[in-house]
Amino acid sequence: MTLKLTINGQEHELAVPPQTPLLNVLRNDLALNGPKYGCGLGECGACSVLIDGMAARTCVLPVSAAVGHEVTTLDGLSQGGELDPVQQAFIDAQAAQCGYCLNGMIITVRALLNHNTQPSAQQIRTALEHNLCRCGTHVEILHAAERAVVINAAALQEASHE
Amino acid sequence: MSEGSMLHGQQKQAGIPALLAQARFGVVVRPPYYRWNGERFESDRLVGVDSSRIASLSGSIEVVVEGDFVGVVADSLALATDAAKQLKVEWQAVHQTPEKAPESDQAPSDSPLVPSQSYMHSNHAYGWPSRMRWGSHPSWVIADCGDQQLSVWGQTVTPAALKQDLSRLNALDISQIELYRVDGKHASSQASGLGRHCGDDAAVDAALMSRAVGGPVAVWLDARYAKDVQALGQAQRISLNADIASSGEIARYHYQQANLTGEVAAVGLLLSGRAAITTSSAEATAGEQDTTPFSPYVFRDQYLAARSQPDSLSTNSTLMGIQQTFARESFLDEVARESDQDPVALRLRHLEDARGIELIESVAKRAEWQRAFNPSVNSLPQDLLRGRGFAYSQLPDRNQRVESGVRSAWIADVEVNRVTGDVQLTRLVVGQDAGPDVDTDRLQQTLQARVLGEARPLLGQAPSFDEWGDGSRALTEREYSAVLPTTASAPSPVDKGINETVGEDVLTGAELSPGVAVIANALFDATGLRFRQPPFTAKRVRQALEASSTEEAGRPSKLKPPRSMNRRWLAAAAFTTIAGTAAVAWPWKGAIAPISRPAANLYSAETIERGRLVAAAGDCAACHTTEGGVTNAGGRGFETPFGTLYSTNITPDEATGIGQWSYAAFERAMRHGISRDGSHLYPAFPYTAFAKTSDADLQALYAYLMAQPPESTEKNANALTFPFSVRSLMAGWNTLYHDATPFQPDPMQSELYNRGAYLAEGLGHCSACHSPRNAMGAEKIGEAYFAGAFVDGWEAPPLNTLSRAPIPWSETSLYDYLRYGESALHGVASGPMAPVVAGLAELPEYDVRAIAHYVAAQMQAPTGNSDAAVVEAEQRVTSAAVSSPGTEAGERLFEGACAACHVDSGVPTFSRASTNLALNTNLHSDHPDNVIQSILGGVHAEHVPGIGSMPGFADSFSNTQVADLATYLRARFASEKAPWQQVKQRIADLRQPHHNNTHSTP
Repeated sequence: MTLKLTINGQEHELAVPPQTPLLNVLRNDLALNGPKYGCGLGECGACSVLIDGMAARTCVLPVSAAVGHEVTTLDGLSQGGELDPVQQAFIDAQAAQCGYCLNGMIITVRALLNHNTQPSAQQIRTALEHNLCRCGTHVEILHAAERAVVINAAALQEASHE
Repeated sequence: MSEGSMLHGQQKQAGIPALLAQARFGVVVRPPYYRWNGERFESDRLVGVDSSRIASLSGSIEVVVEGDFVGVVADSLALATDAAKQLKVEWQAVHQTPEKAPESDQAPSDSPLVPSQSYMHSNHAYGWPSRMRWGSHPSWVIADCGDQQLSVWGQTVTPAALKQDLSRLNALDISQIELYRVDGKHASSQASGLGRHCGDDAAVDAALMSRAVGGPVAVWLDARYAKDVQALGQAQRISLNADIASSGEIARYHYQQANLTGEVAAVGLLLSGRAAITTSSAEATAGEQDTTPFSPYVFRDQYLAARSQPDSLSTNSTLMGIQQTFARESFLDEVARESDQDPVALRLRHLEDARGIELIESVAKRAEWQRAFNPSVNSLPQDLLRGRGFAYSQLPDRNQRVESGVRSAWIADVEVNRVTGDVQLTRLVVGQDAGPDVDTDRLQQTLQARVLGEARPLLGQAPSFDEWGDGSRALTEREYSAVLPTTASAPSPVDKGINETVGEDVLTGAELSPGVAVIANALFDATGLRFRQPPFTAKRVRQALEASSTEEAGRPSKLKPPRSMNRRWLAAAAFTTIAGTAAVAWPWKGAIAPISRPAANLYSAETIERGRLVAAAGDCAACHTTEGGVTNAGGRGFETPFGTLYSTNITPDEATGIGQWSYAAFERAMRHGISRDGSHLYPAFPYTAFAKTSDADLQALYAYLMAQPPESTEKNANALTFPFSVRSLMAGWNTLYHDATPFQPDPMQSELYNRGAYLAEGLGHCSACHSPRNAMGAEKIGEAYFAGAFVDGWEAPPLNTLSRAPIPWSETSLYDYLRYGESALHGVASGPMAPVVAGLAELPEYDVRAIAHYVAAQMQAPTGNSDAAVVEAEQRVTSAAVSSPGTEAGERLFEGACAACHVDSGVPTFSRASTNLALNTNLHSDHPDNVIQSILGGVHAEHVPGIGSMPGFADSFSNTQVADLATYLRARFASEKAPWQQVKQRIADLRQPHHNNTHSTP
């Protein structure tokens, strides 16, 4: 049985058991290593990707659930050679210690901004509450997220002027 | 009995649905023994009725007693049924006279086939049942009886006979009796069909009760009236014998018909004592006289007689013609085969009528009669038998002029499924010579409509509640018009000056009269079995075939069986006398002989497809497949309070599966829980529910299972504790707890409800999990039906009014849950329910809706989700947003492990749990089991691709942590409910052994 998936704008036909976690397919079959394997129980968020612009924890999501939806991984977030504003903000803020959690952080902030372009500091904290970082880089990550709001808004404004 | 309570004018035209509102409901109580013995009616005598026990029932109930007739009338059918059950009726048994003649069509020949000097003697008797069947479909029959008038709404095919019964019952003139169809239109006054059915008995029952209570009374006509069919037995008996010369010529022909009309009055009339007929046999004999029935053939020495009674019932000349033709044409077919002659040639030999000879020759040519007797080179599957038969009739016209009557010659091809007994009419060639100006198109139309209409009751019929698809038509019903090229040939008229009043009644009589004989003859050609009484339903054919196959496997060669073969078939026929009449004819406890696996192409694609749906509805694979194993290969273990049981291999493997099971063995297992080898099955296999399945569905299921690839497996020995390890003890269990009555639709309910009930109570076996069982493992009934139970470590929640769902279930929610695996207001299907939903995905939308409708009725649930319910759901979610104090340990676990998916953090999340825990049915249950199971094993909603799976935490949480978490969830999301007790103990129990909550997939 083959499954048709749309990942980072590309169509893939894969012969995998439908119950395989999406994360395994992305990393092992498609070599998309942006999403990371963390807890495997949907607790830490390291494996997050965007599905139809919403955050999704791929270690608990069977690959069959992604059929018919648009999957975007960290690897596909940049557009036309330009980094996504959220990626740029995390570089600007140098918000990484080991960096393992950053995929989940960036994807979650991206999903939040898709839904709410001007979140408050408190809303950012709530949004990132269930993304775990064990290096203690939380302050830098929150700074990066706040910067992402600003850069993202500017990019949106620029886009509307063009 | 006031006129005022009677129905008037427009009301009568309204049809039954509208009439029901004004009618009361009647249920009859028949004596334990009653029977028409071929000459007269006998029954137990009524001694007395004690109605003291029904006094406690609320509502107005009247008991109607007249002679030996007892009926109960009440304001609702349920009340009347209840009262009839509670009523204490005392009967005095009568001396049962031994059967004068065998009732069965399979009556053995009186004389062995020993040639007496130069003549061979042949002697057979043919019968006609008093009731061909109980009716065409379940329906209401209403009677409204007054002093001067009686109106009856219902189904009858013999209106004249019914009117005669009703007039005797009430001493009314025929003109004071009006018959209406179900839709309120006047019933046709002409008889149609192959004789009376129980629509007449129900009508008389209703009339008797209506007269007693003085208002309209409705009676429900359904398969329960089959008891009357059996009790009334045989109405007509025609004996034929002949001497056949060595040249093959019939030298002497003797035809004796017991009574000319052969119609038996309605049971109610006979019981009431108002039937005037045959009160004393001496009196009856005095008025009897013999008349000479017509025969188209000429024999050297012939004697034909039919006894007619002066006060006989209505003369139904159509039926008379059919009966006479059936006996004569069957007999000639038998004589031909016994004397090694071509059946057509034998008839031509004794026919002098030029028109008849021309007609028969033309029909035989068109049907390529001779070719049928070439050695068969067709590639029929081994279990499909094919045969061809011939029959001819000539009826005099209404002026009793034979010369101008209608000649009709028929050749029919049938296919008989040896396993199921199904008879398919595959081709029919009919030639009709009705005089000048025969309209071939019209004849063809009439034949198609009438013959096919008659073939259905003759060959068996399907009730409505087991139709698959969207309730509109059965999937298996062949497109008759497509497969049945009816050829009507009309030779040029011989007599131009023919009487122009050759009316339709004569035409219809002649055109149909060979129809029954032709099928009986074709059946013999196909199977070697002679059916000497209609109908030829699948069940009777199957039983006869099974009985004969125990004598000898194989079939006679076409037409010219060696003499020894004849004897063998006669012996087989004698044996099937028992099979034909006894209700339970197959070996009850013994083994049923193994068969070789039926050929895969035996069944039509439609039947197999229907079987696939039946298997999906019954969800066979859920139990008969191990995790990761081959579908239906068995081996899955079930822990029960009595020990561990393993499901069996139901693939058609001959050694380890059901490949050697005949349909009879399969049916016995499904309905009675007895394995092919005669041993009892345990009721973990829900035969108690499957017994409700219709014949047609069981046959289709058998076809489907036999068409699957066989898989050889090793058997697992069950590990049951004594005494439960003794299978034969199940016999007693069955007596106590098993009701093998097939499903009966509830007349007070809609078609949708009955379809749902059929699926839910039968194939769906919902109650197998959702009803509690008693100490002996039997499902409790009554109020405990659907009251919830524990199965395989999961709680199957109540499906009745005991449901604990925080937002009450609605029919819409139930449909969403069963169809999509998820109800937004209740949660997703998981655990053992997940494969059930996966199986239901195969079913048509109508069926899932029907199940939801039926379950909703048990829950007394509303149709849709009201605005109030949606608002209440929102309030529950809001009020559960904060944690309760005192559960901090659980809260930490929840925030760490669960909240990412179960709490809204403002980020749009694809993988979030779609139903808020505040609405989750399991958290509101009286038992923590399903919550614990979900935490330990996760929730796998693989049947709903849009929903993320919840991982299991069995390996990351300790028992204490799971207990803290479960307690926290209960306190926060079901705060109005009392905390669960002994949660930790339940967790320990459920962990050992580890219950995985997926049934069928790895």
